[in-house]
Amino acid sequence: MSNLVSFRSLKLLPILILLGGGYMLADAKHEERDAFRKKAVDLTVGCQSKLSRYGLAVGDRYISPYQRDREGVAQPRRGYSAEDVRAIERGCNIVDDLLGQDATHHLARWNASRYVRGSHTSCDNCHQGIGDKQNAMGDRLEGSISLAASWVNGDTYDRVTGLLLPYEMRQMQCFINSSNGYKPNINDDLLRDITAYSRFLGAAIGLKIQERYLEQGVSEVTITDTNRAGDDHIRGAALYAERCSVCHGASGKGMVLNGRVLFPAVAGQNSFNRQSQNYYGTSDTILAGFICKNMPLGQEGSLAPQDCRDIARFIGTLPRPAGDKAGPLAALWQQAMMRTVPILLQLVDAN
Amino acid sequence: MNKVFKILLIIGLIGVAHVTSPEAPFGQNDSELSENWANFSEAFGVSEYGVDGYFVRAVRNGHAIFHNTANHAWRFTRRTRSHRINACASCHTPTALAYAFVNSDRFDRRLNKRVSFEERIMRCYVMHLDGFVPTIYDPAVRDLRIFARVVAHRNQLTEGQLPAEPFQ
Repeated sequence: MSNLVSFRSLKLLPILILLGGGYMLADAKHEERDAFRKKAVDLTVGCQSKLSRYGLAVGDRYISPYQRDREGVAQPRRGYSAEDVRAIERGCNIVDDLLGQDATHHLARWNASRYVRGSHTSCDNCHQGIGDKQNAMGDRLEGSISLAASWVNGDTYDRVTGLLLPYEMRQMQCFINSSNGYKPNINDDLLRDITAYSRFLGAAIGLKIQERYLEQGVSEVTITDTNRAGDDHIRGAALYAERCSVCHGASGKGMVLNGRVLFPAVAGQNSFNRQSQNYYGTSDTILAGFICKNMPLGQEGSLAPQDCRDIARFIGTLPRPAGDKAGPLAALWQQAMMRTVPILLQLVDAN
Repeated sequence: MNKVFKILLIIGLIGVAHVTSPEAPFGQNDSELSENWANFSEAFGVSEYGVDGYFVRAVRNGHAIFHNTANHAWRFTRRTRSHRINACASCHTPTALAYAFVNSDRFDRRLNKRVSFEERIMRCYVMHLDGFVPTIYDPAVRDLRIFARVVAHRNQLTEGQLPAEPFQ
């Protein structure tokens, strides 16, 4: 009997060692990541500039230099602890450089990049100016999808999900569709850090809770904004070739130089998926609105509403990931299209 | 006999706990609450968000929970004789809640973590209301946040804004 027990124990031993080893490894990783979060944050160049301009520092009170300069007076607000400052800094880094192209440590963006499938996504691709786009005069720009304005107007009804969406759930949608990735938990540090940064932006520029601001969301372009010529993807293709392809590439696959993404893909594996609001087939007003107000970089506002709709229509015809809700067959079809269509187009162009 | 005695003892203890718990010094019935809502709605310009709608209904529910938590978030309060004391309004004013909202999501040294407004509400349910934890998505949390947003909007509050004088 005792021999039998010891034999069974021996059989269980490798499993116990494996489980214990796995637990210890996970625990050590957790400790390492936790220790890293307590270290000073290595800011991206953009975040260094943005946060120093807004005067982020540890202290009992926070006075916004932006408001003081523009309005002549700035009310003291609740200050930030060292932990709050680090959370804001991490959030800024995530928005500016989601996948950690500029990160100097392998743990710097590990918790952000694991929620994204492609290799091009950064929040800043859509939420330009690190979520706070301004012109040279420091004026905030209409339709620039400001993160601060989005925060102050959170909890409003979302026609797509049918929910009163809190700010964190809006971020989840970005990760799932615009980044073609996975959903972080609502309490995940990733979302919390982005929220901390967005709230800080709100304090820095002095946005009032539940007030409407022009920089909130996209200024959608509807058919009634056009001359009703109809959205033509052929016309869109010509406009795309003329105005967009120099940065985003002829087939929309973006521009990567020495492993660095200079301009993100608008089609293919690294792009937003077909369930994103950017996809023309899901919403025909959003991408057009984004293009009209934010593209091409440095020439914003140079495209007519019908041009924007035509380009959005054309981009909608390019193959891209199906999105998780579409099911495996649609996903497989899109994968096949993404691999074959660029080759077919090259053949057509060659002939 | 022994079994019957034990059952009677348990019932007796529950009865004593209920009877000796403090009487509710105040409480609102729903007709009072409706009147209160009408006043609140007018004073805080809720019609700005529409006559009705998801958002307005959430504000109304948040208002009801705030003033009569035991009735409107009953799943998260403990049913004692004193449960009607247990309302958010027992400790907070709507304006104080709004200031708490714009000053939330900060590092709490005592808890050694960042605490969001929603987590503060969850802690209130468990500790001050001696009840149970709603999930972060529950209307018992969400609608209080939306209620706080409307009050903050009416007071034109911005992120991190501090009251002129600290609340008691």
